[in-house]
Amino acid sequence: MEPIALDQLTDIDSMLTDDERLTRDTVRQFVAEKYLPIVGEHFEAHTFPDHLVSEIAGLGLLGASIKGYGCAGVNAVTYGLILQELEYGDSGLRSFVSVQGSLAMYAIYRFGSEAQRQHWLPRMARGEAISCFGLTEPDSGSDPGAMRTTARPDGDAYVLNGSKMWITNSPVCDVAVVWAKLAADDHQTVRGFLVERDTPGFDTPSILRKMSMRASHTGEIVLSDCRIPKENLLPASRGLGSPLACLNQARFGVSWGVMGAARACFDSALDYSRSRVQFGVPIGSKQLIQEHLVDMAVEIAKGQLMNVHFARLKDEGRLTPYQVSMAKKNNVRQALAIARKARSIHGASGISLEHAPIRHLLNLESVYTYEGTDEIHTLVLGRALTGLDAF
Amino acid sequence: MDIIVTLKQVPDPEAPKETFRIDESGMKILNPPNIDPVINGYDENAIEAALQLKEAAGGKVVAVSMGETGATRALKQAMAMGVDEGILLQDESFADADAASTAYVLARAIEKIGSYGLILCGRQASDWDQSQVPSGIAELLGLPSVTAVQKVALQGDTVRVERILEDGYEVLDIHGPCVVTVSNEANKPRYPTLKGIMTAGKKQIPVWDAAELGVDAAQVGSAGALTRVSKLYVPSFDGDCEFIAGETPEEMGANLALRLRELKII
Ligand SMILES: Cc1cc2nc3c(=O)[nH]c(=O)nc-3n(C[C@H](O)[C@H](O)[C@H](O)COP(=O)(O)OP(=O)(O)OC[C@H]3O[C@@H](n4cnc5c(N)ncnc54)[C@H](O)[C@@H]3O)c2cc1C
Repeated sequence: MEPIALDQLTDIDSMLTDDERLTRDTVRQFVAEKYLPIVGEHFEAHTFPDHLVSEIAGLGLLGASIKGYGCAGVNAVTYGLILQELEYGDSGLRSFVSVQGSLAMYAIYRFGSEAQRQHWLPRMARGEAISCFGLTEPDSGSDPGAMRTTARPDGDAYVLNGSKMWITNSPVCDVAVVWAKLAADDHQTVRGFLVERDTPGFDTPSILRKMSMRASHTGEIVLSDCRIPKENLLPASRGLGSPLACLNQARFGVSWGVMGAARACFDSALDYSRSRVQFGVPIGSKQLIQEHLVDMAVEIAKGQLMNVHFARLKDEGRLTPYQVSMAKKNNVRQALAIARKARSIHGASGISLEHAPIRHLLNLESVYTYEGTDEIHTLVLGRALTGLDAF
Repeated sequence: MDIIVTLKQVPDPEAPKETFRIDESGMKILNPPNIDPVINGYDENAIEAALQLKEAAGGKVVAVSMGETGATRALKQAMAMGVDEGILLQDESFADADAASTAYVLARAIEKIGSYGLILCGRQASDWDQSQVPSGIAELLGLPSVTAVQKVALQGDTVRVERILEDGYEVLDIHGPCVVTVSNEANKPRYPTLKGIMTAGKKQIPVWDAAELGVDAAQVGSAGALTRVSKLYVPSFDGDCEFIAGETPEEMGANLALRLRELKII
């Protein structure tokens, strides 16, 4: 019989508006034409295609869900579809857009002053100012309340000291959203600060030798008596809830993005299984291979359905952090399993950058850890279900 | 200058070739079931050319498409790229049109729109590749037309184009309203932007039917067609691979030439 494409099988399009589909198809085309041909080289060379930033911005993909300030203000489904298609390319590309939009721009939009929004958001949307989001530290990851970075008021300034680790985009950022405590021993005093590139005492060494997210900038932020004007405090930020609110936006996007990565692996495996001949027939005609493909397809369909459902809830203002945890945990875990299966279907070719799965597989190891590890989301959901805290 | 662009929705030429289907008895090319139809590629070049002219010289760009309801998606995409208005020409009686009856409906629509200095079309449509409709429109409207251009520019009311020839191009100046067909050499069509998609999403696309256009029923769709397809089929190609022997590359080359001559290929 004639094969049926997965999207047709699930009829996912019937849940989307024409605008949502056009956006998805546009980003898909952009990724296919401009990004996929070069991603392997960038991954290998440990570089990010910085030359694409202005085009990504030109399409309106930076801070797309923000209303006003030069941003498009798209709904949650559209935003999700954008990230899904970007991560079909690579988790590094999606991370770039997530960090700029969902983390840094969202932090300024939500917790910044009107003057900060006016100053930063339009130029961030145009890709003229690249940003990063510094929460994690060498000794504080899953437990951000243990952060050591401090901001000491001093006249008309704050003086920042501490260091941030594993920060996407930090080596190339023009502005960093840095989370720091006003009082070293009190996580209620966590506030957000904007630190500009040229500030003395601000340094962003790259983290090299990564085996995952190689096509993405990752670095540290080192703050040594880094003096910033008082107006650089994000005035509405209050306690750990503030960075967590940003992460909640980004996690929602991760749930969508990883389904793009999974889809890329599935597409590659499906193609390969129909063309690779062993024992005289395409390996796709073997039941064991078909079982892999079917498992992958079913998990992608389930993940996408959960994404659309939660995105519609988000647009109605009803999405809870528990639901975000559920989607992030499930979809990343499934994407990782799909990438691994796809890798194995490619046999030895599967370890080559000529095919997408190994790259996605390696990247997804990062995604499993960042934006709340799989374990932390399990604890969030476990607490929600039992009412008992297991952290 | 106000510009009108004509658009056609076609089966996606990027679709895998095994999905290509025809209806032999109905003599139609079928859209592959899983793959959305797209704007004809050359029409996207026409849109891009129109948008560049608008950016340089102002004016309004209106896109018209004769097609099924699904063609609103093509019009929305054009609007998301920056086209100001889209109009869908749709009526049961327009079905099974050929180039002549399509040109007739488009020409009537263009007359109804009224204000234009330039009509841009794609050089041909990738489904039937006839390149007839634009010339038909020009004929019906009594306008000059230039086909297959790689560049269009405006100098006041004069349209200057570079028309592609086999061994170069010629530069033509056309005064007053005209029909120009755009080739893929002209530009690289832009992607729709998110803001464009959202703005287009909010706009209505008027649908003009036969009554609205006041067309003569005998000249539209299959009734008005001047041509009839008498057979439509997918040709089958048989491949046969023959290896040419020889001790050295030179000898293989010589043997290949001999064999090709034997087969009367050269
Ligand atoms: C490529 C990449 C990019 C990143 N980008 C950013 C960025 O832009 N900004 C930023 O702030 N951070 C970023 N991070 C950091 C990321 O958010 C952290 O790595 C993550 O929060 C986990 O922290 P950790 O690495 O310190 O691990 P830890 O918190 O030390 O965890 C180690 C292990 O212990 C488990 N664990 C921890 N606590 C518990 C518990 N209570 N019960 C059971 N298990 C537990 C974890 O699940 C994990 O398996 C990035 C990370 C990567 C890899």
